[in-house]
Amino acid sequence: MGFRATWHRLALAFRRLSSPRPSLAGVPGRPRRAATRLRAIVLVALAAVLLGGCSLAYPAAGGTVQGQDIRSLYDILLIPVVVIFVLVEGLLVWALLRYRGRRANLPHQTHGNNLLEITWTVIPTLIVLVVFALSMQTLGKVDAKSSDPALVVDVTGKQWFWDFSYPVQKVTVSGAGQEPVIDLPVGETILIRLHSDNVIHSFYVPGFLFKRDVIPGLGNQFDINITTPGIYRGQCAEFCGFGHADMRFSIQAVSQAEFASWIAGQQAAAAATPTPAPSLAAGATTLSVSASTTTGFEQSSLSVAAGKPFAVAFDDKEAGVPHDFAIKDSSGKVLFNTRIITGPASETATAPALPAGTYTFFCQVHPNMQGTLTVQ
Amino acid sequence: MTGRAEPVETGLALRGAATARERAGAHPIAGGTDTTVLGVYLFIASEAMFFAGLFAAYFTARTKYSTWPPGGIHLDLPLAAVLTALLVSSSFTMHGAVRAIRAGDRQRMIRWLTVTLVLGTLFLAGQAYDYATLGFGFTSGVYGAAFFTMTGFHGAHVLGGVIAMSVMLGRAGAGQFTAKHHAAIEGVSAYWHFVDLIWVLLFSTLYLLR
Amino acid sequence: MATTTLVRERVGYRSTLFEWLTTTDHKKIGVLYLTSSLIFFLLGGLQALAIRTQLAFPNQALLDHATYNDFFTIHGTTMIFLFAMPILSGLANFVVPLQIGAADMAFPRINALGFWMVPMGGLLIYATYLAGGAGIGWTGYVPLSDAGPGGVFGPGTGLGVDFWIMGLVFLGASSILGAINFLATIFKLRAPGLTMWRLPIFVWTVLVTQTLALFAIPVFTTALVLLFIDRNFTHGAFFNPAAGGNAILWQNMFWFFGHPEVYIMILPAMGVISEVVPVFSRKPLFGYKAFIGATIGIGLLAFGVWAHHMFATGAVYLPFFSFVTGLIGVPTGIKFFNWLATMWRGQISLKTPMLFAIAFLAMFLIGGLDGAVLAAVPFDYDVTDTYWVVAHLHYVLFGGTALGVFAGIYYWFPKMFGRYLDERLGQIHWLLMFIGVNLTFFPMHILGLEGMPRRIATYPATLDWPILNLLATIGAFVIAAGVAVFFVNLAISIRAGAPAPDDPWDAYTLEWATTSPPPPYNFDTLPPIRSERPLFDLKHGAASDGGALAVATVAAGAGGPGGEA
Repeated sequence: MGFRATWHRLALAFRRLSSPRPSLAGVPGRPRRAATRLRAIVLVALAAVLLGGCSLAYPAAGGTVQGQDIRSLYDILLIPVVVIFVLVEGLLVWALLRYRGRRANLPHQTHGNNLLEITWTVIPTLIVLVVFALSMQTLGKVDAKSSDPALVVDVTGKQWFWDFSYPVQKVTVSGAGQEPVIDLPVGETILIRLHSDNVIHSFYVPGFLFKRDVIPGLGNQFDINITTPGIYRGQCAEFCGFGHADMRFSIQAVSQAEFASWIAGQQAAAAATPTPAPSLAAGATTLSVSASTTTGFEQSSLSVAAGKPFAVAFDDKEAGVPHDFAIKDSSGKVLFNTRIITGPASETATAPALPAGTYTFFCQVHPNMQGTLTVQ
Repeated sequence: MTGRAEPVETGLALRGAATARERAGAHPIAGGTDTTVLGVYLFIASEAMFFAGLFAAYFTARTKYSTWPPGGIHLDLPLAAVLTALLVSSSFTMHGAVRAIRAGDRQRMIRWLTVTLVLGTLFLAGQAYDYATLGFGFTSGVYGAAFFTMTGFHGAHVLGGVIAMSVMLGRAGAGQFTAKHHAAIEGVSAYWHFVDLIWVLLFSTLYLLR
Repeated sequence: MATTTLVRERVGYRSTLFEWLTTTDHKKIGVLYLTSSLIFFLLGGLQALAIRTQLAFPNQALLDHATYNDFFTIHGTTMIFLFAMPILSGLANFVVPLQIGAADMAFPRINALGFWMVPMGGLLIYATYLAGGAGIGWTGYVPLSDAGPGGVFGPGTGLGVDFWIMGLVFLGASSILGAINFLATIFKLRAPGLTMWRLPIFVWTVLVTQTLALFAIPVFTTALVLLFIDRNFTHGAFFNPAAGGNAILWQNMFWFFGHPEVYIMILPAMGVISEVVPVFSRKPLFGYKAFIGATIGIGLLAFGVWAHHMFATGAVYLPFFSFVTGLIGVPTGIKFFNWLATMWRGQISLKTPMLFAIAFLAMFLIGGLDGAVLAAVPFDYDVTDTYWVVAHLHYVLFGGTALGVFAGIYYWFPKMFGRYLDERLGQIHWLLMFIGVNLTFFPMHILGLEGMPRRIATYPATLDWPILNLLATIGAFVIAAGVAVFFVNLAISIRAGAPAPDDPWDAYTLEWATTSPPPPYNFDTLPPIRSERPLFDLKHGAASDGGALAVATVAAGAGGPGGEA
């Protein structure tokens, strides 16, 4: 890592510094011991922050072939970064400790030095060139696409969840109302195709050290080859509105046999008839509410009986636009909300009993869509 | 400038040398472009970038379509050609006005400026007629949006030029501007040439290049 | 300094409110800019504290998602357009005419107009809170900020986003007017003898910055105007793919402005540092011309790097933008070594301006390095849009710009008000800032590497996210304490600070040749200008400079770490 060498050089330099020197010896009122101790403390602190930061920050190996390529680039990038950091911060601290204090005579008025200036132009340029060449080489491997992927997965970014589908196997896992977990096989080339028909999302799996934006009108796709079985969390990385923080998913990387049986299980579950939605509690009142524009609900005021749970039947009539139905009290505390649904769609949910009073109902996505709920 | 005696006014080697201008006792940066006119040039530079943004948007939109303009959209090329001729000739008349005032002939400048003003107003009238008779609108898809945004912003700039010329005519009528002091005229002239240039680019892009 | 014979009058800063509201004096307008910017700095900071409080612990719901989104949008917009840009304009307004020996800016009334557009724009930006919010991020990516055939995707069904657009168009127009004014001033109003190669470095950085502003901001204005048209009239024709538009177009236009914008915010701060470091090292800036060359180089390259914000879109030509982005690190490196070599063998005094300058160097280096690695596209794939980028941009803009601004305020405050800012309070302010910035933003690097995306309103208790976020939140409150100390210092020192002489720092440039505060129209007489340090020449004589001969002989061992010191 070049650490040891840098450390050695630094220590050597400081040892040389702390030996008495004619120019400093003449300065009165600066005890040498204290200055030396200060230098030691600064050095130790610097080293501790550096080493601590690096060991904590250093990411584990990427879980895919591509991720491992990126991970090896980390090692290369780290070298110039650490060297430059230590060199420059070291020179700064050194200059501060060594050249502090005003004397009677002006210091020599140095205006420049061509050789030095050329040196510190050329060397960074060379570093940039080398890093650029190496990163382009890695990029070629990361962005390479197989003409014959073993598996295709369509990923669709919605507001605000992910849908996954395996077009060949005819399996779909939707993230609506739950955090989706999908299985992927290790050791196979998997083509991920990204879709969005609303806003921009970004498909990000930190364990793969990779993300790609999901842009409407642009069919981004990429290959991965997972190497290590395990669970990889993923999350939307491009801000996409109200529920951006909630767009999570997990990838379970399994052996090819386990993957085959997972697919079979999903296919069987899809073939079974879906269970009917649980009916509402007997005798409960139902509050019907609907939204057709983004400026307000179709109802401006609603009322329900106090002290009893009630059902909410919420209808989002506006195509392509997400809404929910939420209730807050006068202090702004949200007491109840439905899922956010994208119209045209409807949602039924049971709201808790509320004490008598006046409440505000609103859409969390569009907080200026409001109405009054009277509980009596 | 005593160029030979003072080869370079810069650099460490000449630290301590007085500049020729200073030795001559001249005003700081006397000569060269007038400060007001420089301000107008800089303003024009920023305006050029604004229009560059519009052109970038236009060409980006265009790349998505194989037939352009999209089906059902027809432009009035003859009218636009006439408008182009009006605006291009107004650049020459504007130049006539500037030459007149540089020579100190205020009356001739007023005449040329009036002609320029009339040409600019005719252009605006023609564009209004064009807007009224075109078979598509602001909201008819990407093309309509781009066409009306670009020509609309250009039209607004022409209007700005016409207003500026009216103000100049008013000031000239009140006896202002001489051969030495006419920075405002130079500024308006530069702006007007810029507006013309933008139109030529718009005409080429929207009507000729397609 | 016997350079001005004017009696120090009380007119400067004791005049009536009306005079302040109608002034066209560049010094007063500079102070107005600073005042307005610091107020917005407080507002933006309060939103940052709310954000950090929400993120202190996992799964918190102190702020609902919509409020959180509004907060980080307006926090970013405020800090960039209502704090960083105007406060640098304020410093430049006060300093540039003084440093070039001019009586005022080239267009004083346009200067006043440009300033008053800032609070107006600020009102529009903050009006978003009354109009349904604008939770779209300061980058305002489409289609989230756009309308479409299916309605509005984002939060701004009301006028919120429209207000945000109008506010930014206003602020952009203000900056363009400012750019025209600064450029005309620097080109036309320099004192006799002040050639371009004798301009103070701060003036050079303002010159390059304002050139960038002049060419970059209009493109952003175009994008904003198109977005406004899209939202209100054409329903997504430009930017929404669902209506035939192009979502990448916004990003290209935005970042064509947005990256030069970064340099608009950092170059003048570098200029401040380049004034402070030489004065407090009692040496000239090492490599004056190379520094100017590097500044111009950054300015030129700034227009060729915008798409490095878009590597993960899969829609840009990667090699070009990756290469130019890496290349822009070279001139930045040159500047760093110039600053270090300036301090080398100097006589450093650690007054508050120098303390902040040093903090700038230490922090900006981190912000430079963690940004430079983002030029490597595969690395960018991993950490873009994560907290790594949040760490990077805050090290650059807080550790860089804000600390540079503080250095400038401590440095020029005696010139503005004839009093020092209190040194002891300044040291406390500095210490809290130094600790706070690192405590807040360093853990964010690790959060980024551990995959925490930016702009999420809440997060699960996974990996080290909770402890790192808690550290960052504590750091944010340390920063807040530092800012509080700064405001206390301002309040005390402006009335009761120690009186400062005309040239309190033994400085080099012309602003110190007049009284503190300067009279209207600044100068009675000017010293002769024979180098970039006219005041140094006046005080020490050109002979003590060493002259051209000594340059070559002495500097040989100056920069080498092994050189005998």
